[in-house]
Amino acid sequence: MDHLEYVLSILPFIASGLKLTAKVYVATLLFALPVGLLAAIGKVKGPKIITRLLYLYTWIWRGTPLLLQLFFVFYGLPIIGIRLSPFTAATITYTLNSGAYLTEIFRGGIESIDKGQYEAAKVLGMTYSQTMRRIIIPQTVRRVLPPTCSEAVNLVKETALLAVIGMPDLLRIATQIFTRDFNITPFVVAFVLYLIVSSVLVKLFGTLEKKYSIYE
Amino acid sequence: MTMIRMNNIHKYFAGVHVLKGVSLEVNKGEIISIIGPSGSGKSTLLRCMNQLEKIDQGSVEIEGIVVEAAGDVGTKITATPQEVRTAYRKMGMVFQSFNLFPHMTALGNVIEAPMLVHKLGKGEAVKNAEKQLNKVGLLEKKDAFPSKLSGGQKQRVAIARALAMNPDIMLFDEPTSALDPELIGEVLSVIKNLAQEHMTMIIVTHEMGFAKEISDRVIFMDDGKILEDQSPAVFFDNPRHPRIKTFLEKML
Repeated sequence: MDHLEYVLSILPFIASGLKLTAKVYVATLLFALPVGLLAAIGKVKGPKIITRLLYLYTWIWRGTPLLLQLFFVFYGLPIIGIRLSPFTAATITYTLNSGAYLTEIFRGGIESIDKGQYEAAKVLGMTYSQTMRRIIIPQTVRRVLPPTCSEAVNLVKETALLAVIGMPDLLRIATQIFTRDFNITPFVVAFVLYLIVSSVLVKLFGTLEKKYSIYE
Repeated sequence: MTMIRMNNIHKYFAGVHVLKGVSLEVNKGEIISIIGPSGSGKSTLLRCMNQLEKIDQGSVEIEGIVVEAAGDVGTKITATPQEVRTAYRKMGMVFQSFNLFPHMTALGNVIEAPMLVHKLGKGEAVKNAEKQLNKVGLLEKKDAFPSKLSGGQKQRVAIARALAMNPDIMLFDEPTSALDPELIGEVLSVIKNLAQEHMTMIIVTHEMGFAKEISDRVIFMDDGKILEDQSPAVFFDNPRHPRIKTFLEKML
């Protein structure tokens, strides 16, 4: 009974951490999905200069540690005079990082669609943007759902790096309570909360996959 | 009336000379079969008509409008881009591999382009699509996704989809080559019905009996050139060229 009371007593703090984690997470996904989609289309169809820049973008953001990217934006940019609020800085960094991975996922998906689909659309008189919007992207969505789910779950776990740069996210709050009380319970609670969030996401993507599979 | 005029078409694929100066005129209501050994340039010629392949030299006219001109051919595109687009829309095409949109039902496949390109309202598009699906004998399959249709049914939906755009000309690129033998008949009979309506049609095919029965002209292609352009009676019963004789003996 003591134990349950202890858990209940730390829950409000943990919840405030979870709230920050969720805020950064949702903001990141909201921005990273369109970034990934647009960058993927740019890579597939854009003019040479755009394609080159996008390769540079995914090369850098996928090829360096996320923690280094966070350090760079949080501690590096202020030195050259760019000051951002911690939330903005975190959202930008996570968006660019996640966006780079999503770009490659979406690019692969778009390129996996048979060229006969483009030809059929073309001989029916559709423009390129009509073809993408009505024919190519809907089929791509179905194919990229599984890797996008992995990326979305990864991102949940990656938000824990917020703790390292001093933001009071779920992990940091749990750690603070642990140091204060020298009790392992806050870690267990954090453990369970991360698992719940990941599981909900997997479930959600599973439902989407089913919905998009009706035509197979 | 000349529906398509192709003038001295040359086409290269990675340095390989695939079409070597092909000229061809197609008149309104004509049904033309293009036959020949694989690699002779039949499909490429067809795909040059509607810009699925860009020509490297020559010119293409559709219903009197120059839609493509390349190299020194004395012809220039004078039509506006809008007129060129409209001219291309007069041609419908049916592919060997159907290329139905897998995420849409049969009906969805047929209404999509009329709504998107011709800006038809949904009610009108559905009415027209049902008429076309009925014509190819698949009205009862309108809610089926392509994955639930046989090859023959898929190809018939693809024909309905092309017809829904009200084309003046239909291009068929080996429409039965991907089908099981027992499914070929249903697709050929749909095409025969179109022939009776005097639709202008150009058909790349390996079905010799069908070509003989349906065509006004048979074109034989060999090594990137038109070797013969003849009525089916003369072509099949009295082939003049030894290359064609050998080919027909192998096919029949």
